[in-house]
Amino acid sequence: MLGLIQNEWMKIFRRPGTYVMIGLLLIMTTVAGAFIKYQESGGTVPDNMEWKRGLQTQNESYQKQLEEMGEMVPRDMKEQYQREIALNEYRIQHDISPNEEYSIWGFVSDTSQLIEFAGLFTIIIAGGIVASEFTWGTIKLLLIRPIKRVKILGAKYITVILFGLMLLALLFGYSALLGGLLFGFPEKAIPFLYYYNGTVEEQSMGLHLIAYYGLKSINMLMLATMAFMISAVFRNSSLAIGLSLFLMFMGGQVTRLIAMKYEWAKYSLFANTDLLQYFEGVPMVQGMTLGFSIMIILIYFLLFQVLAFYVFNKRDVSA
Amino acid sequence: MDTLVEIQDVTKVIKGRTIIDSVSFDVKKGEVFGFLGPNGAGKTTTIRMLVGLIGITSGDIKILGSSIKTDFEKAVSHIGAIVENPEMYKFLSGYQNLIHYARMSKGVTKEKIDETVELVGLADRIHDKVRTYSLGMRQRLGLAQCLLHDPQILVLDEPTNGLDPAGIREIRDHLRMLAREREMAVIVSSHLLSEMEMMCDRIGIIQNGKLIDVQHISDFVQGKEKVYEVEVDDPDKAQRMLKGIYPELPIQVTGNSVFLPLVRDGIPEMVKEFVSTDIKIFAVREVTKTLEDRFLEVTEFKGGAGHARTDSK
Repeated sequence: MLGLIQNEWMKIFRRPGTYVMIGLLLIMTTVAGAFIKYQESGGTVPDNMEWKRGLQTQNESYQKQLEEMGEMVPRDMKEQYQREIALNEYRIQHDISPNEEYSIWGFVSDTSQLIEFAGLFTIIIAGGIVASEFTWGTIKLLLIRPIKRVKILGAKYITVILFGLMLLALLFGYSALLGGLLFGFPEKAIPFLYYYNGTVEEQSMGLHLIAYYGLKSINMLMLATMAFMISAVFRNSSLAIGLSLFLMFMGGQVTRLIAMKYEWAKYSLFANTDLLQYFEGVPMVQGMTLGFSIMIILIYFLLFQVLAFYVFNKRDVSA
Repeated sequence: MDTLVEIQDVTKVIKGRTIIDSVSFDVKKGEVFGFLGPNGAGKTTTIRMLVGLIGITSGDIKILGSSIKTDFEKAVSHIGAIVENPEMYKFLSGYQNLIHYARMSKGVTKEKIDETVELVGLADRIHDKVRTYSLGMRQRLGLAQCLLHDPQILVLDEPTNGLDPAGIREIRDHLRMLAREREMAVIVSSHLLSEMEMMCDRIGIIQNGKLIDVQHISDFVQGKEKVYEVEVDDPDKAQRMLKGIYPELPIQVTGNSVFLPLVRDGIPEMVKEFVSTDIKIFAVREVTKTLEDRFLEVTEFKGGAGHARTDSK
């Protein structure tokens, strides 16, 4: 199995396209760093000692709005306000200023937007890894080895996941490095505050970012799994990449639209891949819980895998 | 002799159409078995079933006793194959390609790879990218790829497709050598008849998914009767004379010669007739039938109904 993964890894990294992808990811991070640095030098962080009063008035206005609208207030807006209020109160109580200096952590958090690109590149690899063997014609020589097809496909899937994780690690490592160089470390560790189940809790910033990365990458890994499935089932890399990218950019939006009218939207994969909604936002459909989302993700995951493995194993290779 | 490959009553049905219809044959150690048939007859399908690329609807294929259906890994580990063109990873070097395949079989050492590269004569170009290889070199790399794990059976689908005469000769010599020296069983498919004639010991002819004949190459080409060419001074007169004696035989005239099929013992009688009718004979020659002639004969007479050849008559 290790040999098979080694093979797949070699086939990915002996192609120049792979380095272009990695290069792009690094360049985008660098550009983002340069841009933020340039902007930052324009003005320093407002050293506002009055922040406590600011938060106080903010809370009061939230409260007032909630009371004024009463029953009319939409559910997600209400939850959003409650969350803000809780966080602000916590800050006031524990003397944690919201005006933290922009540092390495801020940068890592900002560049986490680039996970989308890491996802895009992983989808490209996932969509090609099986289909290309068919287009190259090499699938024939690959499948006449004394190795079960399931193992070959398994090795390919593991390679895709490893590649995705490598891109994530690279992005995280590089943006931490760049952030550290450009913006420095904060003087005292500022905890990250999160609001879950009505209470506010503190978490170290580094740990928070790692968790944040992990949760954000679920979407990307699920889409890569889907691209992999399409690639294995239809032997068509353009279809796999195109469809997965389309869903990556549109899936969330469309689901959100459907969710406004129909409740069954909560069974859509895209309503559930963003687990961050349970920690830092509002669930897309009322009544969705973390456990529910994990279940749905697992069900889709199994569905994709069973489809991919079943079809690949049965397929007559006659092209 | 030991039988290495047993094809037992194999049938393949795709979407209700029978592509291969209960084909059975055996291939023995040290033998080059040719698989011959017109395009679309089912050669490639049979070969793909043999290496497990295509499933078998009914029947079974046994490789050294292991079924390709139920014991795929063991069965296929005895086979080295090139199915159609040996497509390799063009962005890898020849050597990396071989390492790739070596990792997929048990116990292929670096020395073994080098040895195989040496055997197929690619030593000086093996570290170049496959993209830069000529077709002949790719074919040789394909051969190296299927010899890596020391298989006892070689399966080659159209191994000489697209090669120039030198390349064809090279492949042929390799195959003969492997069958002789390593006692491998070699299964080759082709529609190039002249090629098969020089390469194979036995030939199986497949048409419309049915195996219509399996024969030793010498028996196959010659049949029982031979065609004789008689060079004479007056072929028209000779033809009239022969028509009178052998009314049922197909007699042809070309230039100064008449052609007729005869058994060997009939020759003196025929010569006597010529002499007595005062026709001058310059030569009596045996015409060696090519595989091509035989092939067309066999495919026309046995199960060729409904095919283009019969239609055109």
